[in-house]
Amino acid sequence: MEKVLITGISGGQGRLLARRLLDSFEVCGVDRVAWEGRPKNVAVHQVDLRKRKFEDVFRTEQPTAVVHMGMVRHFRVSEQVRHDVNVRGTKQLLDHCVHYGIQKLVMISSSYVYGAAADNPFYMDEDSPLGATRSYPEMRDLVEVDTLTSAFIWKYPHIRTAVLRPVNVLGYYVHSMIGEYLRQRRVPTVMGFDPMMQFIHEEDVSEAIALTLQHGLQGVFNVVGPGAVPVSVAIREAGSTAWPMPEPLMRPLIDRLFRWGMVPYPAGAMDYIKYPVTLSGKRFVDATGFRPLFGLEEIFHSVRR
Amino acid sequence: MATRGFRRALGDLLGGLLPLSVRDLRRELDDRIRKIPTRLNEFGYDPWGLCPATVRETVLPALALYKYYFRVETHDIERVPPGRALLIANHAGQLPFDAAMIALAMLLEAEPPRLVRGMAEYWVSELPWVSVYAARAGAASGTPDTCREMLEAGECVLVFPEGVRGMNKLYKERYELQRFGTGFMRLALEAQTPIVPVAVIGSEEQNPGFANFERLGRLLGMPAFPITATFPLLGPLGILPMPVKYHVYFGEPLHFQGSPTDDDAIIDEKVETVKTAIEKLFERGLRERHGVFSG
Repeated sequence: MEKVLITGISGGQGRLLARRLLDSFEVCGVDRVAWEGRPKNVAVHQVDLRKRKFEDVFRTEQPTAVVHMGMVRHFRVSEQVRHDVNVRGTKQLLDHCVHYGIQKLVMISSSYVYGAAADNPFYMDEDSPLGATRSYPEMRDLVEVDTLTSAFIWKYPHIRTAVLRPVNVLGYYVHSMIGEYLRQRRVPTVMGFDPMMQFIHEEDVSEAIALTLQHGLQGVFNVVGPGAVPVSVAIREAGSTAWPMPEPLMRPLIDRLFRWGMVPYPAGAMDYIKYPVTLSGKRFVDATGFRPLFGLEEIFHSVRR
Repeated sequence: MATRGFRRALGDLLGGLLPLSVRDLRRELDDRIRKIPTRLNEFGYDPWGLCPATVRETVLPALALYKYYFRVETHDIERVPPGRALLIANHAGQLPFDAAMIALAMLLEAEPPRLVRGMAEYWVSELPWVSVYAARAGAASGTPDTCREMLEAGECVLVFPEGVRGMNKLYKERYELQRFGTGFMRLALEAQTPIVPVAVIGSEEQNPGFANFERLGRLLGMPAFPITATFPLLGPLGILPMPVKYHVYFGEPLHFQGSPTDDDAIIDEKVETVKTAIEKLFERGLRERHGVFSG
């Protein structure tokens, strides 16, 4: 039986994935925090990706596959820490994968790396340039992690490496920035803008990762859910109220509030509610036959206030 | 919930007070929109943000223009084939009323009714409100990838290869096609799409331009700065068109073979065929009409 090591296993998505994989894989994981009430046959090691102890886990657990989702995607820590954990942590992980004979690696990136821009084509494929940092420099570490792992695919072709870029993930367990955004009582939006946004349910993301492992996929793949709606519809369906603000006012305001720690995202994140970032999931569907189980209504229902 | 119900009741009441002709227009519109073969998700949107419900709510003024102001007459609209098609038309008149009238013609008079997709300029998606409404009405930022996908999905896409060159042409250049871009032809070859030449008669006289100060326009962040009989004399009001009579002629669909990556020279030859077809329609249209306004 293959043994999968999941980084970030104690997070919402990590837990779901661990439970999903238990039928067909042995599962172990690492995280900085513990997972209370985990299944008995799942070992969780509380380590930091950057530390020596992380390498020990590879030695003792001897996994054959790795799913890397243990990244800091929020801005509650300093930029340095974020960069350190994400970029250096991933670099360490890639090195370990080489040294300890890992056969399959799945890295969970996101649709955000493409960036939101007025001239984005609709339904971009995986070869589209990663433009996130053009107006959202705080994303640079996540873009770099994606690029690092994509380069790894070519450097070590004998390791089946897949980079997954799912669209906005919503669900009951997962902690995503977009989930937090939609769940606010009053949701700030950019006045006069209402871009199309794609969503996928957390269970479907787990399913996509499982399929990736089963098929031993190699390459970069967008993972797309059942469809797209304007962001205003998403807000309404999540049971919240949109609060349109004029952009010239909103940008400096969010900028200040973010620096004072009163808003969880920097002003650059506004572009994602102003311009569309829509992806084509064709490559992944062709490779695995993936079909999302959860429709848009169920997805929004799962985050309803 | 209560407010929504109240709003609907108020809407019904106001609807009842509207003059009969408006109510008839609305009924006709509903009827046509119901027949459109589009794929919408459970919230009423298509993959590119088109929303027939929004169109229904907001299209009435344009419909009034279509029926009573420009009194649009269409000719041979049944030549537009079902499924994917590229409508290639002349562009004129300072403001894109021609686009709206072609789109309405396809909605009101084609069988089955179709919502024409437009390829908008990049900067449209940077304009607040305009960007949203453009998307709801079926336009999308005009990247080749998006256009190809729409064609592959069986949509009917309207393109003005003259672009702003046509829109701001001078009065003395009326019914003279400006330089055509070649992008549309490469897309047609790539997506194996029939091209329907379309000639709009009337738009070229709706707002005669005598000069165009492009540099000044650029300075003001506009694509052009036309001087017309009424603009900038009357300020913003000056951009309104005169009540010319519109005729929209549809030509026989043209099918092209070849590689989309051919040299410009080869592509240009094919583009020339389309231009000639539109010019033929011009000839016919200008011969058949009696007057610019009475038509």
